[in-house]
Amino acid sequence: MILEDSLSQSSLNADFKLIDRDLIADLWHSRFGMPPDAFQSFSFYRKARMIWMFSEAMLPPFRLETAGLRIMSMRKGPWKPTTYALQLLGRYATKNVVSLDEDGARMFIAGGTFEIEADLEEGYVIATFEGQVLGCALYSRGRLISQLPKERRRPDDP
Amino acid sequence: MDHLDRYRRIIPDYPLFCEAMIQPLPVCVRINSLKTSADDLMSRLDKARLSYRRLGWYRWGLRLNGIRPGLLIEHLMGHIHPQEESSMIPPLVLDPQPGEKVLDLCASPGSKTTQIAQMMENDGILVANDPSPGRIVALRANCERLGAANVAVTRYDGRAFPRYEFDRILVDAPCSGEGMARKDLTVLKRCNLKRSMGLQRLQQALLGRAVDLTRQGGVIVYSTCTYAPEENEAVVESVLDRVRLIDVDIPGLARSRGLDAWDGNIFGELMGRCARYYPHHNDTGGFFVAKLIKR
Ligand SMILES: C[S@@+](CC[C@H](N)C(=O)[O-])C[C@H]1O[C@@H](n2cnc3c(N)ncnc32)[C@H](O)[C@@H]1O
Repeated sequence: MILEDSLSQSSLNADFKLIDRDLIADLWHSRFGMPPDAFQSFSFYRKARMIWMFSEAMLPPFRLETAGLRIMSMRKGPWKPTTYALQLLGRYATKNVVSLDEDGARMFIAGGTFEIEADLEEGYVIATFEGQVLGCALYSRGRLISQLPKERRRPDDP
Repeated sequence: MDHLDRYRRIIPDYPLFCEAMIQPLPVCVRINSLKTSADDLMSRLDKARLSYRRLGWYRWGLRLNGIRPGLLIEHLMGHIHPQEESSMIPPLVLDPQPGEKVLDLCASPGSKTTQIAQMMENDGILVANDPSPGRIVALRANCERLGAANVAVTRYDGRAFPRYEFDRILVDAPCSGEGMARKDLTVLKRCNLKRSMGLQRLQQALLGRAVDLTRQGGVIVYSTCTYAPEENEAVVESVLDRVRLIDVDIPGLARSRGLDAWDGNIFGELMGRCARYYPHHNDTGGFFVAKLIKR
């Protein structure tokens, strides 16, 4: 019975591969200074380029469309955190966080690119407004490029 | 509205009901405790000088005055979710706990799924099922925006959901939607007895499958946003030999009892344990909610 279940599970969702939590925690620690504790109660799966964060180490034995949240994509260059992961976990970050003023927040939400003076490393950063996480931005040569998913953007009309 | 005349006998204060039906539905949001706290969220609304009122019966629910919630920055940050007040009832009755295995059998677009996820504190397993590919897009989008990390989405016909043992199952069934007519009166044009009887077959099959999939002693909540007894009491009746009915009564919300008979069918007095929520009682949409324990 148990054997049968684990067999059907592995063939059902073979495209979701369990990966080591420490590996993920290390990546987020080195980029955002997050404590490994932030990831303690979750398990991580890789499917194609995306990493999914799910509450349980065992996936339920059904054909799954999703397993929790997509938190990052692995690519040739640096890995990219998703806006939704940052909105959930970003409050634990201690570096590469940029606090936007009202104008900055508006431009970020419009999906814009703008100059900014901030103490950031090049690459993906966490954009916040009044202490709350807005989402992911790319910092490059003094400019901030909003990475807010298209479906969340709103045109900039002040 | 003529269609609703068939309920003149069963809906208390029918003229007040009719009056309420033509009033606009209040705009409500649920605060997402996975990402913020009620105090933080309200102080942000205060700072923006937005007008709102807390629901008396549910600490995560707010009524907004003259605000389109989809336009608020709190919406894109996933701190709030627009959700009709009475739609917040079934998850409360389901009472899911962190660490449990829970199934939301008819889940899209995920208002109740994400409410259940927050009640479970992103812990345990919440399977959110819906067969409609189009509607699953909205379900997935809401789960992502609200940060639900314990949700696994599946796409089965709920009548044939694979065998498993869940602690709790919500069956928020497809229905004729009469209770949402306050938002959109044209809903009623499509309502008739024949359609309700067709839906009843689907609803009975869905609820029957949910009982199969629940562990002994586990909880099943059956809900619809319609008044038609054919889609409510008559559906609950079809599983009565396999479950016990539990009284549904939420402090702070006025409810009418489920019907003991309708149109020549006798459901019995026990059916009074189900709850009917009417627009003129709490100024909400309409809902039917039954709570069942598997024997
Ligand atoms: C009332 S809506 C659910 C609303 C949802 N629970 C929420 O709170 O956002 C009913 C859902 O049942 C789905 N449905 C229709 N036929 C179904 C079936 N055979 N099995 C499971 N779900 C079905 C529809 O696609 C629809 O999304």
